[in-house]
Amino acid sequence: MTGCTDPTILNLWFAIGAEQETTPCIVSDTVLLEEDLSFTLDRVGQPLVWRRDARWPAGSVIDTSDVSVTLPVKQAYGYIWTCLGQPSADIFPIEEYDEPDRRNLNAASIGVNVSGPRAIENFLDMGHFPYVHTDILGVQPHTEVKEYDVEISESRDEIVATRCRFFQPMASTASTGGADVEYVYRVPHPYCSVLYKSSGQNPQRMDVIALFLQPVNQERVRAHMLLSMLDEANDERVMRRFQQTIFGQDKPILENQYPKKLPLDPRAETPIRADKSAVAYRRWLSSKGVTYGVIPAAN
Amino acid sequence: MIKLYDYELSGNCYKLRLLMNMLGVDYEAVPVDFYPGREHKSDWFLKINPLGQLPVLVDDGVVLRDAQAILVYLAAKYDPSGNWYPVDDPAKLGDISQWLAFADGITSTASAARLHEGLFYDFDIDACRAGAHRLFRILDEHLWFAEKQDRDWICPGAHPTIADIACFPYVILSEEGGISRQDYPAIRRWCDRVKRIQGFIVMSGVFPAGPAGGRLNALSAA
Amino acid sequence: MGNTMLEAAQHQWHPIASSEELEYRHTFHGQLLGREFAVWRADDGNVNVWENRCLHRGVRLSIGINDGTELTCQYHGWRYANRTAGCTYIPAHPADSPARTICNRTYPAVERYGLVWSGEAPQGDPPGVALLDGTDVLSLRPIPVNADLETVHRQLTAYVFQPNEGLDGAKAAVSVETSGDLSIGLSSVSGDCKTQAVFFLQPVDSDRTVIRGVLAGMPAHKAQLDVLHHHNERLSALRERCEAEASQLPQPEKLQPVIQPVSEELAGMPEQSTSGRNADLRVKIARKWSTAEGIAGFELVSIDGQLPTFQPGAHIDVHLPNGLVRQYSVTNGPGETQSYKIGVKREPDSAGGSQCLHDDVREGDVLAISEPRNNFPLRRDAVKTLLIAGGIGVTPILSMAQALYHTGLDFELHYFAQDDSHLAFPDILETLGDSLHTHLGLDPEETEQCLEGLLADYQPAMHLYVCGPGPMLETTRHTADRLGWPDQAVHFEYFKNTHEIDDSTSFEIALSRSVMTLQVPAGTTIMDVLRDNGVSVPSSCEQGACGTCVATVLEGEPDHQDVYLSETEKKRGDRIMTCVSRSKSARLVLDI
Repeated sequence: MTGCTDPTILNLWFAIGAEQETTPCIVSDTVLLEEDLSFTLDRVGQPLVWRRDARWPAGSVIDTSDVSVTLPVKQAYGYIWTCLGQPSADIFPIEEYDEPDRRNLNAASIGVNVSGPRAIENFLDMGHFPYVHTDILGVQPHTEVKEYDVEISESRDEIVATRCRFFQPMASTASTGGADVEYVYRVPHPYCSVLYKSSGQNPQRMDVIALFLQPVNQERVRAHMLLSMLDEANDERVMRRFQQTIFGQDKPILENQYPKKLPLDPRAETPIRADKSAVAYRRWLSSKGVTYGVIPAAN
Repeated sequence: MIKLYDYELSGNCYKLRLLMNMLGVDYEAVPVDFYPGREHKSDWFLKINPLGQLPVLVDDGVVLRDAQAILVYLAAKYDPSGNWYPVDDPAKLGDISQWLAFADGITSTASAARLHEGLFYDFDIDACRAGAHRLFRILDEHLWFAEKQDRDWICPGAHPTIADIACFPYVILSEEGGISRQDYPAIRRWCDRVKRIQGFIVMSGVFPAGPAGGRLNALSAA
Repeated sequence: MGNTMLEAAQHQWHPIASSEELEYRHTFHGQLLGREFAVWRADDGNVNVWENRCLHRGVRLSIGINDGTELTCQYHGWRYANRTAGCTYIPAHPADSPARTICNRTYPAVERYGLVWSGEAPQGDPPGVALLDGTDVLSLRPIPVNADLETVHRQLTAYVFQPNEGLDGAKAAVSVETSGDLSIGLSSVSGDCKTQAVFFLQPVDSDRTVIRGVLAGMPAHKAQLDVLHHHNERLSALRERCEAEASQLPQPEKLQPVIQPVSEELAGMPEQSTSGRNADLRVKIARKWSTAEGIAGFELVSIDGQLPTFQPGAHIDVHLPNGLVRQYSVTNGPGETQSYKIGVKREPDSAGGSQCLHDDVREGDVLAISEPRNNFPLRRDAVKTLLIAGGIGVTPILSMAQALYHTGLDFELHYFAQDDSHLAFPDILETLGDSLHTHLGLDPEETEQCLEGLLADYQPAMHLYVCGPGPMLETTRHTADRLGWPDQAVHFEYFKNTHEIDDSTSFEIALSRSVMTLQVPAGTTIMDVLRDNGVSVPSSCEQGACGTCVATVLEGEPDHQDVYLSETEKKRGDRIMTCVSRSKSARLVLDI
């Protein structure tokens, strides 16, 4: 029995836990779309996910061959993914993940009391950098969001925002001053987004940060964060600390948004030119008929 | 140099960053991957603190654990004015200690609720929230009557003490545990006052307050 | 709470805070009937009760920053003005002036009996409370209770307290003096002592109520604290009883306040707003004074409701009794929304606009003015801002200087004037501290030398704003250009267009959106032709100085005759001032 009746959402793949945080043969519990689930990895590291069962409580050691009824699973980008409906064959691609010189790590899975779409919109937003990520991703008075391009790629059914630039006070470890940093944003999934950011270490290539949201219910998500970095200097601790600091700054903003569900009616809130990508995202959700985690437009 | 074993999102670590910044004390932060790395339970860390808890402070051969204990140490050692922890005023020390214990109560309720909501710790969330509300009612009442006596801080006197620093972080982060402060207007005003103490810094989850008056110089200072 | 009672409550006044809870530069988090409020007191004492959502992305404004004049949202730094709740600045687009209709939802606020009263849609004035009128009052500590209104009401009718003078006396007899749905008046008598009190019930939500008690009569100062403690203890005990009782009841459904949609206009991406040369507002001259030699100050207050939000650099059209229309810049600082202050220089050779204001218009007179319009917007993303003013050109610059000063941004104001007695608005100048530099009695050559020094040190992300007499403006622009200031860093406003307009050409205009082709004959402006054909065009100065009537050019080569656009903008040829400019090509296609 699930509280989610939105077929578009039910048929999607969702990340529900980092492989690295999952101990083989020990049961972990989680909630997806209001449904209680359990998951683990078997002895050879293959994930399995099932609807919660009193026989195998969280933390217990399990013989995975006992679990006969399981949900669809995939392993992708360091996370275990599952689906409550009829899943598509593949999870959206992040080609860079497989590049041999990248450092891929699970930065964190953090609970946030807000709808998934609100969190995606925040992830796409640059205007808040000087206010919410002060001295890190932005600094006053450099507040301008310059013109950028947004399109809905027909070939891959995803939103792509390009030519995004924003002034960052410490643009890279190599420079002392601030400079414009370039970003590209993708929304390949109503509850997932991938950002590309010009790399301090290699100007030709981009660091990748992906956000995979696991909707616990319509107004609560577990935000899984993937880092795929070209950083050779810093250890994982430092990279994680950075990402958790940033996300920790976004969290109280997200939890103070009202209503928590994303309103799709254009007259619910006031967009400005800087919000082009958010406007495209809201339209894209509307065109897909998404109802879960949003307040659909009246007609 | 002082070494602080630190986790950015920890309110207990923040207490120490706050006080050291307010006192103008330099320190080196040693990041500990509390989550997801669980480094505070790793062998190397358990040698420093067998309780497996953050923060830990190392200064001049002294190794201390427990945020409240470290606040006492830092104020006693690095605040020559004696305002933050007046070592020669027994009544005030007693008063401060009482609120340090109160701060521990806030940690075990409001901070626990925050860990449940943010990191999915297996706590009785309803009990955590109810406990925090019980403490917040007491603190709000205390601060309301303090204001009536023209006092700004938890303990009597013109200057804040480490009692304010010990209580502030998990109060200001309480909404992350689903504990609204709407019913505690005196606490909300006190939070603004703490944010206006010279040397105040934020952590993830804490917003700055506006200028208390006159001209905002935050930008030229930055 | 029953439905009819709920509906009635929406039209009533309710206390939502104590006056003393609105501490200096604090933002109070209030709630009434399920709707949250951000409540804040500006430095001028005005209490603002606003819907607790930024119009942009719905973030609570109760976590925002009250800087004494404006409330700033924590998410994107949008600033909303005291009183009007109009947005004055959107940092993501520093070069634009926000559409002035971006305005947060406000609720009325009245302070009475030490409480702040408001409501969803209250009728009339807040009702008087006989028990509390004509006497000093003492507000008790408000007690939020996790129980519904009816439970709290029932418990309160049985509330027992001691009179102020008899806290330790024999147990008092308490009687109910007045009882309404939302308040209970009680009287406590013990021996010779008697105290009356009124307890207001603030319905926060279906399951939460705040008790706001007010005592009639002020106890002696020394006894106050004891009285406050007494009630706090008793009311806290009453709260326990209410909550115990309410916990046995089924959990009522939370109230769902309706969020009003924003206007159609705001739902899309904002464009420049369009209205004609309208005089929508009626204002009274509250004060007229001589602010400097030959310069009169006028303070204009609304005669029917709140004046609209202005931004630094904005001007208003003033419609004069003699039929002339003149533009004057608003000199106000941020959050000064109770009046507009303008400065008018007597121009001996003028057509009679300034003379009329100087000689014929008096305090108490009513004038028609337009809403403020901002064609000289102030960026606030400069690493340093240079403001240069000559004579009466200081008026828009004053508003800018106060905004920059207040937000702590780095700037210098250089004010050129004949002598001390010609410095206008000395009361404002005084507040600017070290940022103000005056340059007195310089001849044109000395002025140029001085400007050369001031403009010598251009750095990227610096911006220059200049307003003053034509020749000084030209000198400043040329000097800035020579010293490497890029065109887009130099912002200027002319008082008037002194160029001779050549209107001898004739040409065709095509309106791309309206699919119309029109002829503009010699001697007629584009604006006139548009208006004759039913196309509304906003305008203000109608002489190519203010920038209000701008239109976008899609094809053709404009013949610029205005002083509003910069050289770069003119060369780009994609915008035109329809009041004076014409076409070099036979045809212009406009995006109208």
